[in-house]
Amino acid sequence: MSRTERLPAPWGLLVDRETEVSFRFEGRHYTGLAGDTLASALVANGQHMMSRSFKYHRPRGWLTMAGLDANTYVQVGAHPNTLADRVPIEEGLSAAALNVSGSLDRDRDAMLEHLGRFMPVGFYYKAFYKPKGAWKFWEKVIRAKAGLGRIHQDDHHEYHDKAYLFADVAVIGGGPAGLSAALEAARQGAEVVLIDEEPVVGGWLNWGRVDDGPSEAARLGAELAKHEKVSVLSRATCSGWFADNWLAIVQDNRLFKLRAQAVVAATGAVEQPMIFRNNDLPGVVLGSAAQRLMRLYGVKPGTRAVVATANPHGYAVALDLADAGVEVAAVADLNHRPESSPERRQARERGLQILDGHTVYEALPGAGKRHVAGVMLDAVAGEGEVAGNPQRIDCDLVCMSVGYSPLGQLVCHSGGRMAYDEDLASLVVDALPPAAQIAGSLAGAWDLETAMAQGRQAGFMASGQAGVSLGEAPPAPATAMPQRVNHPWPIFSHPKGKDFVDFDEDQTVKDVKNAVADGFEDVELVKRYTTVGMGPSQGRTSALNAVRLTNKINGRGLSGGVVTTQRPPFKPVSFAHLAGRSFDPVRYTAMHHRHIEAGAQMMVAGMWMRPAYYAPVGERARAIQDEARAVRENVGLIDVSTLGGLEVRGPDAAEFMNRMYTFAYKKQPVGRSRYVLMTDMSGAVSDDGVACRMNEQHFYVTATTGGADAVYRTMLRWNAEWRLEVDIANVSGAYAGVNIAGPKSREVLSGLDCDIDLSAEAFPYMGVREGRLAGIPVRMLRVGFVGELGYEVHCPASYGEALWDLLMEAGQPFGIRPFGVEAQRLLRLEKGHIIIGQDTDGLTTPHEADMAWAIGRKKPFYIGKRSVDAQAARPLTRKLVGFTLPDTSPLPEECHLVLRGEEIAGRVTSAVRSPAVGKIVGLAYVHPDDSEPESTFTIKLGDGQRIEGTVVPLPFYDPEGARQEM
Amino acid sequence: MTGPAEHPRRSFLYRTLGAAGARWHVVDDAAVAADYGDPDGERETARRMGLADLSPLPRTGFKGAGTPEWLSAQGISVPDESNRATRQDNGILACRLAPAELLLLGPLSGEGEALADLDEAWAKEPVPPETPRGFPVPRRDSHAWFCVTGERAPDMFAKVCAVDLRPAHFAELSIAQTSVARSAAVIVREDLGGVSVYHLLSDSAGSAYLWDCLIDAMAEFDGHPVGHSALLALA
Repeated sequence: MSRTERLPAPWGLLVDRETEVSFRFEGRHYTGLAGDTLASALVANGQHMMSRSFKYHRPRGWLTMAGLDANTYVQVGAHPNTLADRVPIEEGLSAAALNVSGSLDRDRDAMLEHLGRFMPVGFYYKAFYKPKGAWKFWEKVIRAKAGLGRIHQDDHHEYHDKAYLFADVAVIGGGPAGLSAALEAARQGAEVVLIDEEPVVGGWLNWGRVDDGPSEAARLGAELAKHEKVSVLSRATCSGWFADNWLAIVQDNRLFKLRAQAVVAATGAVEQPMIFRNNDLPGVVLGSAAQRLMRLYGVKPGTRAVVATANPHGYAVALDLADAGVEVAAVADLNHRPESSPERRQARERGLQILDGHTVYEALPGAGKRHVAGVMLDAVAGEGEVAGNPQRIDCDLVCMSVGYSPLGQLVCHSGGRMAYDEDLASLVVDALPPAAQIAGSLAGAWDLETAMAQGRQAGFMASGQAGVSLGEAPPAPATAMPQRVNHPWPIFSHPKGKDFVDFDEDQTVKDVKNAVADGFEDVELVKRYTTVGMGPSQGRTSALNAVRLTNKINGRGLSGGVVTTQRPPFKPVSFAHLAGRSFDPVRYTAMHHRHIEAGAQMMVAGMWMRPAYYAPVGERARAIQDEARAVRENVGLIDVSTLGGLEVRGPDAAEFMNRMYTFAYKKQPVGRSRYVLMTDMSGAVSDDGVACRMNEQHFYVTATTGGADAVYRTMLRWNAEWRLEVDIANVSGAYAGVNIAGPKSREVLSGLDCDIDLSAEAFPYMGVREGRLAGIPVRMLRVGFVGELGYEVHCPASYGEALWDLLMEAGQPFGIRPFGVEAQRLLRLEKGHIIIGQDTDGLTTPHEADMAWAIGRKKPFYIGKRSVDAQAARPLTRKLVGFTLPDTSPLPEECHLVLRGEEIAGRVTSAVRSPAVGKIVGLAYVHPDDSEPESTFTIKLGDGQRIEGTVVPLPFYDPEGARQEM
Repeated sequence: MTGPAEHPRRSFLYRTLGAAGARWHVVDDAAVAADYGDPDGERETARRMGLADLSPLPRTGFKGAGTPEWLSAQGISVPDESNRATRQDNGILACRLAPAELLLLGPLSGEGEALADLDEAWAKEPVPPETPRGFPVPRRDSHAWFCVTGERAPDMFAKVCAVDLRPAHFAELSIAQTSVARSAAVIVREDLGGVSVYHLLSDSAGSAYLWDCLIDAMAEFDGHPVGHSALLALA
């Protein structure tokens, strides 16, 4: 269709007639106009069918033209499940239909509808589970048949992100009520964010039969633009309304997170389909959809139309169609005695054929069932009944205007409610979330003056709820509220079926009846059993009729009937939006780049990156052995900056330490460090480290890499209760640290300008000193985690890299080499030192871990003492022991089972081939009866093989500790 | 011109800055990115959307009982309430994070003597002290110090931080202790030459990560790294 075939201006508000856009659909080339959606451009080209239905593969075309149904779901490039009536066309856009097997025109699975009677509601619950194992077969078949879009896993990544927005008042919906609300709130001084799905504000002013509607919309928009404190988000969808007015808004590739003090929902209402046979045929549309197509895009929806209505809006549709040159064959008014209205009078004056008390009873398909070719009209004889004297009228367009359902889903997300009102024959919002207002057709206002007055009231009230100072209140709406526009029963079930309640899921009246007959009487159960309302449109075009049918069939009556629970998102949100620009903080030590430069393979440790070993990946085992050997025989350097660091300072520091940790600290000498073991209230080991007493009122405490923040929080929490005179500071990131270890470590340090006496006498094992090393301020700790003479050197983080450089350079003559976490694990295991979290679990007690030596028995209290004492009084059920295996044995892995007979007695927690010991050494939980040295126990390897471990005393290496204390 | 690795104290992300074209000058005892090759352009960028690393510049902190009183006795004008900052005559920005916790940002010039004097005064007092005086906190090493500048800064922050930092809602010398790109952060607004400048203090070990996040977030606002010189020009 060329641009000359569009309706003349002012039809086509959104399209630029001078700019043609080429695109492809189902492999064919089409041309549309800039401003078209894919759907409007396709209809302009005579392509009404856009996809097929999910279950029966029935042809489906445009229905709402507002992105509120799933009929227009298409695949656009790599984007699955895109609404054709929402996506703007762009040059080169390529789209394809969904739910087709073959092509849209020739769908091999279209025959499925002939099997419909074998696929009643709930058939798959019943059909595919017997005989046993059948589901494995059927699942593949069903999954292959299941439609919707395809994810292109090899497609390029798109950039999606998230951003916060802030407002006093958020207004959802840019129709006349929303615009009025936003203007009034702005007048009151509120900061306003208006969220509108359309490209231009105005809502139905732009597409409805309203005198000078677009001009009025533009005027309101211009007035809004004058307010500096108003922001308008166009083409934006509010997909969720969460507690405390937290709104999730999708616009382009961004998910906004808006926190508003108050919200005005002016989301409007969506016309509801009638139910009759073949009501899903392409060409059977909502009246409002036809108006949108004409006024927004300048596209004639058909050539010969039948309008079914029960309110003035349907007559307006008929008049619009006539104005646009569409032959209106008939207006069927479901009411026998319709109320007079200007639109009905005008329709009569235009000579349109009006049939009161008539309905469309059946839509008749054309060739290939791809479009409506006519309707059977019949007189309404009662609720859902016809007289039985049908008359055929040929047409290619059927417009349905029999009532609306408020788009109250967002209101319901945050605590509001929708229920059925029999007087209005409609769902109504009968409860609101806190700090919320509604206005416009959502609130039952159907004329412009009322909607705008109501919007102003809502804006005023919302401003007040937002705490913005109030001026004079706007006048209340003059019209008595609300007005009835819904027909109470636009449902005409047909004995031959195909009378669809839910287009998403191909559910018919019979399906709802069968669900209730099967005992699923409540609308929530009907939803789950039939899947009515569970499709992508989430009941927006089916919930009203589903509520009517269910409550009528189950005999409960319609009044007060509620819709099923409305949950976010209001419209489908892509995973890309949910994932967005994710933030995953990563911490690097000051020496990080030196590790990279030295060829380290880095590993994740909590949020930190640590060097695992320094060699190519294929040389891991050799590198670990070499690094360990360097420490044992020479000197090595490891980055320990990731250890937690906590300053505990104040008059009660020692008392605090005594309460936090199991050991005793009150008499710990200044200048000495002491092991710390933390237990929780259940007596389980939770962390360890060392406490360095810097002065009488100051402890510098280390914690495990992964546990530092938790230890800090625990300390703050307990001191808030104890109120001791102590201050706790988490300085984990403030200090870099290295451990220079090995028999030559002292020699390396001695070659540097250091104001600390490093001799064994002046600085003994477990000593702590402060001073300067080549000008760098340092804290030095003589500790022995790896079992050799060694010094932990801590310095301010900004000096960390310089410290590393200094020690590596000073160590060159001694053959110093960096060693990684893997070598450290080997070395510490040879010394029998446990790693919290690896050799313990969330239930390990100090006695199980053979760490009773770290408990100050004379202390009146420490966290977990009561539990630890109680556990100590009971027999152990497992015990952590050291074990060896011959070097020729397979190497057990962490968590390989320890068996006692056929019973699981424990597990291996650590195991390595020890170059120093010449055997495999490890730690394992065993049965207490197997825990004595020289006992043996069974380890079950991953491949099922069983090997015998021998319990040995710890440590495996240098049991006298002579090497670390030299 | 001097390289950052020539000094023992180094910015936590000097390699990242170097890769962005940083040219260095020495401030106090470390090298700071003076500019990125276009000092004039960076001054304009700073008015729109800039990001500077001031991590090597002096700063310190004190916390614990007696901190406000002791600092007041040392001549610091302590803010009356938490989450507010006061400018000192010597260019120090005193930021009260809690009733008994202060962060002291040194002057943008990098003059560190006044802060060093404070640390020295604290260290000179006997242990235990006669009256509580709080404890020093190594803010120069625990936290990286970035400056986010310009009129688009609040828009950029909205992509990484849940606090409304627009000037109308976040007054000058206000403090937000919050999360930026999921990293704990302290944000202090201080206007320089009519331009909103947000001091951003966050985990030094995570500074390279956060820098990348901010550069990414500011791209749509034509934001770029700016040097120390651009900030001095603003002031």
